[in-house]
Amino acid sequence: MSEGADDGHLLVCQEVTVAYAGLRALSAVSLTLDRAEIIGLIGPNGAGKTTLVNAMSGFAPITHGSIQLGGAEISKLSPERRAHRGLARTFQHGRLFGDLSARENVELGAIAVGCSAREARRRTHALLEEIGLLDLAASPASELSHGDQQRVSVARAVVAEPAVLLLDEPAAGLPAEGLGELASLVEHARSARGAGVVVIDHNVEFVLGLSDRVVVLDHGEVLTEGTPAHVRSHAGVAAAYFGTVGSVGTDGTDGTDEAGTRTVPVP
Amino acid sequence: MTRSTLRLAAELLGPLAVVGLVALVAAHLSTSDQTDAINVLVIATIVIGLYVFIGNSGVISFGQISFAAVGAFAAGIYTTPVTTRQTTMPHLFGILARPVLTNVESILLAAGLGALFALLVGLALMRLSGLAAGIATFAVLEITYNILANWDKIGPGPTTLASVPVTTGVGQATVGCAAAVVIAFVYQRSRSSRLLRASRADALAARGIGVSIVRHRLGAFVLSGAICGLAGALYVHALGSINVTEVYLTLTFSTLAMLVVGGSQSLWGATLGGIVLGILSSFLTNAENGTTVFGLSFTLPNGLNSIIFAVLFVGALMLFPRGLTRNREFLAKWLGERPSRSGAALSGPEGPGGVVPAAAGHDGGPETAARSRATTAAEPKP
Repeated sequence: MSEGADDGHLLVCQEVTVAYAGLRALSAVSLTLDRAEIIGLIGPNGAGKTTLVNAMSGFAPITHGSIQLGGAEISKLSPERRAHRGLARTFQHGRLFGDLSARENVELGAIAVGCSAREARRRTHALLEEIGLLDLAASPASELSHGDQQRVSVARAVVAEPAVLLLDEPAAGLPAEGLGELASLVEHARSARGAGVVVIDHNVEFVLGLSDRVVVLDHGEVLTEGTPAHVRSHAGVAAAYFGTVGSVGTDGTDGTDEAGTRTVPVP
Repeated sequence: MTRSTLRLAAELLGPLAVVGLVALVAAHLSTSDQTDAINVLVIATIVIGLYVFIGNSGVISFGQISFAAVGAFAAGIYTTPVTTRQTTMPHLFGILARPVLTNVESILLAAGLGALFALLVGLALMRLSGLAAGIATFAVLEITYNILANWDKIGPGPTTLASVPVTTGVGQATVGCAAAVVIAFVYQRSRSSRLLRASRADALAARGIGVSIVRHRLGAFVLSGAICGLAGALYVHALGSINVTEVYLTLTFSTLAMLVVGGSQSLWGATLGGIVLGILSSFLTNAENGTTVFGLSFTLPNGLNSIIFAVLFVGALMLFPRGLTRNREFLAKWLGERPSRSGAALSGPEGPGGVVPAAAGHDGGPETAARSRATTAAEPKP
């Protein structure tokens, strides 16, 4: 199922709508993802980014529309069945199995989708080596730093060698030097297996730097999509973020400081 | 020998050594004391059966004694002489009235029926966790008890099933308990158990990486049912008779107490809890009828056994939820394994309302809709 669909798109979301108790979190959002493509999903808080990832991965039931993976309809499938079809995801805050070591966490990502124990060990070793966590492989996941937990979380998804990788705020809490390793991990998933990647993060500069294409959500709808350069220059994007004309990402964030105050980086 | 090989060996040999020690001591005891030792081994087998499901899944179940009950009555009825059955249970279905099985056949049948019953129950209940699982499995215990106590076509009803051949000696009880240890050990090293334990730690993340929680829970539940069924057969063949009240509430809570006090998330904890508290229970039961220790004769008040177990149960939950073994396997502290940090089995992962989060779409069922209405935050809740 990791091969692309007949129309060339790996993942197709068609007019996906998600509503909770009458409140529309997503309204007819359409999105396509190709093999070896990285899409950045940005937008202000409450725009529906994580809801869209939840809908793709089966954790948020859609009320209208369809989701296809490799040409097959998957919107009725459970999250675990989607994972077996090649759709892997991470969660905000990592959600590692705290009792288990970093190595065991990553291994389970492969074993859960049917990989043999030996192959899971091999892949895990290679991945942990690549992200520089081999020394901490035996450490309980709960005792890792936040940044290391984030990277292990991404490795746990990547180790399954998915067709589609959904990353929900993978850079949250990572120091600047950790961003490069994270980016190389995502690149590894793309280049080694041709995975399509959807990445959400509040670090807009990180997302824009990593993505081939960026989709901007606002109030559960697609505001615009295009190249990172297009999004940078799109006045509506800044307005969606800040309520006024400006641009995003010149300070490396989505413009929200620690106190929640929005600053407007004017181009 | 590598450290991990040593750890594995200790994980299996520690519980087996304790079982062997009980057998060794029992071989040198008087006949009446041997009966107590046999009872300890049989009860420990049930506790190991509980561990296979509760320890690995983190889901509480009050229903496993139902599988022991079914195993006990099936083994008892099928080994009772036909003429006795016709006299004491004249209304039995034909399939129960005629065949006579050997001791070993009856034990295998009991294990199979325990597994089958667990499969039927588990197909309906394995999406439940937490409070919902506790209530539902308690209902299974109630239903089983009432059917066995009132339906005279499948058993003696409220009367005692007597004249069951007493064939469970020290040897057979030891083999049965050791078999349960080995089965539990092999299972906990399996892929299915690893994934189930991951779901115990974080059900949502487990589903996200592709773990079918319901399927793996069902596997553990069925295996647990088989072990409990086997233990039921050993139980009835140790006593020579059985009444349905003997496989009901008291046995349910005492075996759960043994599991929790020992350490519900390790095989070592389950075995040690079953053996140590089994010995305590035997002593207290004897003391309620009058006993002599070091020349001192005394009689404890009736019911004290149950009260002490209740206090131990609650005390363990409140004060040391990881049990005597801190949820560690044998020698794990010295061989480098970490204990489970997630506390007692009674604090396993739960979905909203104690339901495993359902799938999106049609295979999610009504609880999916309920869940989706309840979930308004961006990140799905476990």
